[in-house]
Amino acid sequence: MSAPRETQAGTNATAFVLEAKQIEKSFGATHVLRGANLRIRRGEIHALLGGNGAGKSTLIRIISGSHRLDAGSISIDGRLDPNPNAIAVVFQELALLPHLSVAENIYLPHRKCAFARLGEAACYAEARAALALVDEELAERTLDWPVAQLDLHERQFVEIARALSSGARVLLLDEPTANLTFSETERLFGILRRLAQQGISTLLVSHRMGEIRALADVCTVLRDGRSVLDRVALSDISDEAIVEAMGQKSSAVSPPAPRGAPAASARMQIVLRSPGVSLSVASGEVLGLAGAPAGPSGVIETLIGASRPAAWQITIDGIDVRFPSPAEAIRAGVGYVSGDRAEKGILATLPILDNIVAAARVADRRILASSREATAAQTALDMLSIKASSIDALPQTVSGGTQQKLLLARWLAPAPKILVLEEPTRGVDIGTKREIYAMIRDAAAAGCVVVWWSTEFTELIAVCDRVVAFDLSGQASGVLDRDELDEVSLSRATGMAA
Amino acid sequence: MTEVVIDQRAADRPQPGKRASLVVRLTRIYRTEIAIAMAIVVLLVGISFWSPYVLTWGNLANIAQAAAPLILMSLGVFLVIATSGIDLSVGSTFSLTGMVAGLCFSAALPWPVVCLISLGVGLAVGAINGGLVTVVGLAPFVVTLITYAIGASLSFVITNGHSIAIADPNFWTLNGGEMIPGITNFVLFCALAVIALECVLRKLVVGRWVFAIGSNDKAARLLGIPVHGVRFGVYVASGVAASFASLLSLSYISNSESTAGANLMLQAIAACVIGGASLFGGTGSAIGAMLGAIMITVIQNGVNLIGINSFWQGTVTGAVILVAVLIDRATKVRS
Repeated sequence: MSAPRETQAGTNATAFVLEAKQIEKSFGATHVLRGANLRIRRGEIHALLGGNGAGKSTLIRIISGSHRLDAGSISIDGRLDPNPNAIAVVFQELALLPHLSVAENIYLPHRKCAFARLGEAACYAEARAALALVDEELAERTLDWPVAQLDLHERQFVEIARALSSGARVLLLDEPTANLTFSETERLFGILRRLAQQGISTLLVSHRMGEIRALADVCTVLRDGRSVLDRVALSDISDEAIVEAMGQKSSAVSPPAPRGAPAASARMQIVLRSPGVSLSVASGEVLGLAGAPAGPSGVIETLIGASRPAAWQITIDGIDVRFPSPAEAIRAGVGYVSGDRAEKGILATLPILDNIVAAARVADRRILASSREATAAQTALDMLSIKASSIDALPQTVSGGTQQKLLLARWLAPAPKILVLEEPTRGVDIGTKREIYAMIRDAAAAGCVVVWWSTEFTELIAVCDRVVAFDLSGQASGVLDRDELDEVSLSRATGMAA
Repeated sequence: MTEVVIDQRAADRPQPGKRASLVVRLTRIYRTEIAIAMAIVVLLVGISFWSPYVLTWGNLANIAQAAAPLILMSLGVFLVIATSGIDLSVGSTFSLTGMVAGLCFSAALPWPVVCLISLGVGLAVGAINGGLVTVVGLAPFVVTLITYAIGASLSFVITNGHSIAIADPNFWTLNGGEMIPGITNFVLFCALAVIALECVLRKLVVGRWVFAIGSNDKAARLLGIPVHGVRFGVYVASGVAASFASLLSLSYISNSESTAGANLMLQAIAACVIGGASLFGGTGSAIGAMLGAIMITVIQNGVNLIGINSFWQGTVTGAVILVAVLIDRATKVRS
């Protein structure tokens, strides 16, 4: 497809399928959007970028109709009356009905009259037509399957089909490739490009320069609620310039260089073994895990005591160990941070204090929640320069990136010997990512073994000493040393997109 | 978080292109229900080794009569459970309906009028439940715990705890009459209710909305499904079903007591669970709920016939629920 050339003066206004002008929005005293612009042409793939707190998610909620705007205007196809279906948010998994069939998921929104017949024939016909626009094979195969049986990327396709079926003109995707394999990513990109040719635009919200460069034509960058770059062709701008526009130092692109001999007084040697593979990791080393979830999760679950039977065998300083439960793993000095904050990390109804000391309580078998915990928690916040109004506030009062840092802060006091990280930078802006990289290197420098699974190859390459690659079936396909690490080698070894 | 459990039967992935024949499709859709029905038969045959009387027409009619109110109540509760809610108030609604009906009969109102007034009890309780759950946004467990407590207490308050014998000579026809010759009314009501509900749940848009909300209520809202309206509706339906069950029972027993519904709430929830409904919502069927209710009644009947102390009934029922849930879990795949 041809990328639309951009920023020519006097463009025909009606060429924009979506035009959001001078959008203002405040929540209480917080002025989140201060005149943001977003203009998307028909059939264009448009990247929306910005740091955490820049106002991206608020702008998305406004254009998708779930928030009202305070000032400004939104026009769709040049008209000011908003069609709620014209902008469709394609969520990765949340927005489907797992127990209902694929056909019903696509067709149900069409039926507004409660006591009408669903009409199976019409339901299947409409769903087949919509899904065939996205993926012929899926439309033939899966119409009467419950959605829960589909793979993640297939669910994404069903959501796209549903959006198209409801008359969507702009699809909004948020980090859509985070868990996709190389071929799935190619399939998704192919679909989006084909839809673009048919006049369906895509708004891509992402922190991943890889997928932005691969897919998008044009970008808009938000900073402090304003559009600091408004429709700039991606071919005309460097990554550094984009990061600078986002208000983050350009050095953020290159995280702190690894290495340096571990300042380990007590050196530790860990050996991980599974049939066919044996890995030896020493204190101070950052071991990356790359590949589709099946492989890395086996290592991670073994290390944190969450899998039974253990897929891997662990030997620490020559002694075989086995963690029967996460609590035992924590007491033996294993820390774990999940990228799935909401499900596996933050205790949302407990104050920040409890969130920080949760691991220490288990490690020390504490019975009393002592007043010293407050001091310890405050120290942890200060050390990681986490901004929170109070340790008694709830986690939801801080941004997503800060919550992720809270999860890391959890492990300062227990001082684990092994730190296991599962996508700790998912959905986090570049500035916060850099801080997390620094924390990882600090932990390693303090003598910790860091085991880190990431789907972002650039960060593995920048931070890790070695990376174990797993292929799509979950088998370890190779160990890449520092000097062999690059995106090509990782892509080849894992089958995943960079 | 909620775990999503999907029937193994759905894993029998249909072939693309042509659809399977009707019988094959029905067998696939109603696999759980067929299994429960067979389990009921096995149970009856098993009991007949101790007490051959269990398989006589007279006893089977007893079982049907005893099961009818529980079936109706379970259908209402199933609707609520399918939306991932819970209704704890049905038992006390049952009791309160009976007491209100008793008072109306004491006032010598004609029985159809009494029925309409008494159904109003379920309507009112259901509307209060639905309103507090949707408009105010309280948790269904809390809301129906409140209405359960108030309803149970009011059913003592309004007659000061006295039971009322029904003197109306024609009221028995609600339960025992034959609107269609040859079919006793209670059988007719249950059959109609089950068939109608099953059709609504499978074929009408609103039925798919019920499962959609139980499957993922946030997604349902994003899809433009009127989540509040449907939620409100299922609580009202559950209340009315409990009231109707109470009238049917009263028509048979002719004596209203403040404690009439005391055990029914747990039995109705148990019936839904035995019938394949998940308390997380999104699964199950009206036929399953009916079969669950029948199974519970068969167990009670069997315990009586075999001559086991009736105090053991609850233990046996509990054990059967455990077995049913374990079998269910073993035959389903997690995703």
